[in-house]
Amino acid sequence: MSCGKPHAHDCSEVLRRVYTFIDGEATSADCAWIQEHLDECGPCLQEYGIDRKVKELVSRACGCDPVPQDVRDRMLGRITTMRTTTVIQGDASYSASGVEVTRVEFEQE
Amino acid sequence: MPTDVLDRIAVAGEGRQLRLFSPAMTDLKNAEAHDSDHTDSVPYIADDEASRVASDETPEQRDARFERDALPLLDALYGAALRLTRNPSDAEDLVQETFAKAYSSFHQFRPGTNLKAWLYRIQTNNFINTYRKQQREPLLSSTDDVEDWQMAKAESHTSSGLKSAEAEALENLPDEDIRTAMLAIPEDFRTAVYLADLEGFSYKEIADIMETPVGTVMSRLHRGRRQLRDLLEDYARERGFVAARSGSPVDVPTSEEAL
Repeated sequence: MSCGKPHAHDCSEVLRRVYTFIDGEATSADCAWIQEHLDECGPCLQEYGIDRKVKELVSRACGCDPVPQDVRDRMLGRITTMRTTTVIQGDASYSASGVEVTRVEFEQE
Repeated sequence: MPTDVLDRIAVAGEGRQLRLFSPAMTDLKNAEAHDSDHTDSVPYIADDEASRVASDETPEQRDARFERDALPLLDALYGAALRLTRNPSDAEDLVQETFAKAYSSFHQFRPGTNLKAWLYRIQTNNFINTYRKQQREPLLSSTDDVEDWQMAKAESHTSSGLKSAEAEALENLPDEDIRTAMLAIPEDFRTAVYLADLEGFSYKEIADIMETPVGTVMSRLHRGRRQLRDLLEDYARERGFVAARSGSPVDVPTSEEAL
């Protein structure tokens, strides 16, 4: 289906590939003719605008749930325990007091 | 952190630089290779380069690399775990399991490749193998035939001048509407959309994480986003942000529209 104006590519071709264009996954050749089509076809440009908006909304509304500190502490504790357990199992001469493992401090970069 | 471990660590670490791993432990680290034998959902890199890196690297260096590269991704993985499990308790279990497996299998990760995608793949596998079964949630996945969306229906647009106003109407929707709509679409579609739009993964990376062909990823994204957009447009109409579609009553949505 087309908007009725003459285009090098049919509107349906553009709309079928609009997500690859928005996602930066279209080939450079496809990008060129899709961009050209959007520049000259108002209805396709508006469709593209809505689809891009939906993508932005997902990012806006669903992002960023920082890890609660207690969850972070328990996770780091588990890894430390794995490390300690491996050492205990790996060497019979190991004793807790002789190990220099220290308090875990991680900072988010 | 368990109290006994904390106590031991606190005593041993008195007056020393605070580190997760100490040099004294590192000569015993080869024992950890056994840990990975049963981590079936960890992507294994059967690669000469990976083997070479793993063998060249000292355990201490590997621990430092894990601390430096993997741990900063904890927030991202926890957010993803929340979205997968939909409750904080399961999310914590899932992210703990993910990092535990990642740690014990870190010698299999090839430096220079995408660590974030590697962690997501571990977590996604873990979720599918464990938590989704526990939740007994009906699998909402639909058929993923690429042809289904590429061929069945020609895409079209209307010449309505209201479309740009519609983008603006969607912009005004509260975040809660977007989250509600995301939860209403099938899980496989939702996961693909999250990975693409929230995490910024490429199609290839999503394919690796979800262990599906790239074409299936494209299909899931396409169909998931169409459903999402339809839902958001419905919400915008219900809120009076945008005019009703011609011939489509605003106050009596059909079941098809709701889906």
